[in-house]
Amino acid sequence: MRNLVVHGLRFLFFVFAQTLVFNQLEIGWGIQPMIYPLFILLLPFEIGVIPMLLLAFGMGICIDAMSNTYGLHTSALLMFAYLRPVIFKTFSPRDGYDSLKEGNVYEMGQRWFLYVFGSLLLIHHFWFFMIEIFKFNEIGYILRKLVFSSILSYIFCILFQLIFLKRSKAQ
Amino acid sequence: MRNLIAFLKRFQLFLVFAGLQIIALSLYFTFFSFPRSQYLTTASGITGTIMTVRNDITKQLNLSKTNRTLHQKNVELMKQLPSSFTKIGKNVYKIDDTIYHQQYEYIAGTVINSTVDKANNYFTINIGLEQGVEPGMGVFSDKGIVGVIHNVSPHFSVIKSVLTDNINIDVTIQPIGLFGLLKWDHKDARHGTIAGISNDLKIKKWSKVYTKGGSGIYPRGILVGRVESLESVEGEAFWDVKVLFSEDYRSLQKVYVVKNLLQQEQKDLEALIPKDKEK
Repeated sequence: MRNLVVHGLRFLFFVFAQTLVFNQLEIGWGIQPMIYPLFILLLPFEIGVIPMLLLAFGMGICIDAMSNTYGLHTSALLMFAYLRPVIFKTFSPRDGYDSLKEGNVYEMGQRWFLYVFGSLLLIHHFWFFMIEIFKFNEIGYILRKLVFSSILSYIFCILFQLIFLKRSKAQ
Repeated sequence: MRNLIAFLKRFQLFLVFAGLQIIALSLYFTFFSFPRSQYLTTASGITGTIMTVRNDITKQLNLSKTNRTLHQKNVELMKQLPSSFTKIGKNVYKIDDTIYHQQYEYIAGTVINSTVDKANNYFTINIGLEQGVEPGMGVFSDKGIVGVIHNVSPHFSVIKSVLTDNINIDVTIQPIGLFGLLKWDHKDARHGTIAGISNDLKIKKWSKVYTKGGSGIYPRGILVGRVESLESVEGEAFWDVKVLFSEDYRSLQKVYVVKNLLQQEQKDLEALIPKDKEK
């Protein structure tokens, strides 16, 4: 029950933060930070893939409706959600995942977070910019956007966790 | 049958993923060229309201700039009032209204949501069907051209701005009067390009670019920008003309929607042109 409230609030927070704040940032160089994939990452470890895909779809549609992108964010977020279990398995800790924990930077550590979230974020951003621009002769431009946006998104996601999440008591 | 069920079970996750992905991508690619409904855009009621609230807060940031441009426009308009003319002699001029038919009307609106750094940028404005806005109408601002109305709800509408692919507005470069199509290369919100200007003609740097007004979407002579640089395209007889937009879309606030009262007449007439048979 508590989980439901926490994730519900996070859902709303990420949708509004993305559409009202981060979409309006105009940094130049085509940089476009996207922080909402963090919501999918922070879902409980034991959640099924299908509920997660449906959540990703719903969230993507909400963001698309408020930024006039008509399905672009949805598509990229579905990619993120579908690959989450795969990446989780690849970087699984020695004794598996503790279902009481969640995948944030405090509980799983800096290194795990960088590998898992970093790679998923790169896939998400790459998919997003590739579909958005959809021209292979502009691959240099896509890569430039990808690198700078991913770095900025990653920094914002770390900041979010520093501000809003409690340090776990075990450590 | 059992095999089929086993197959479905095995690939269940991938099938769900693929299904949702297809929905998302087909939404994206069809909406882009072909607006079907307003529910998934900022023209819909709920998101439109949220964007209005957001704009109420952020518009204060641009207030002084907006005021200044409106002020300038006022000065220009006041110059044209009858009271600011003096009569030179009696009976020198007489205004006979019946010889002028009004062709264009303008509807004022405010931009409540906009992006400029995406590959395709759409602006939302706070007027819609009830104010007489219809898809396909042109939009401009005090300083230059903005775009074309893409889709409309009762109280909001979404503009397909000049910062999108395939905007193709017909423009003319003055004073030589060349015609070309305005395009955007989705990189820089300050610059666009003009296609279709053949390179045997000399164009002066910083010559002004205006709308041509051929399709009846815009009146003739709305400023678009100035020519910033010319480059020849390899292997083609065209200039690649780079235009510096006169409007800074990053701080766009007040816009005017063009209503062409004679649009239908022009369309009806042009529909009579016999179509070329495709070979």
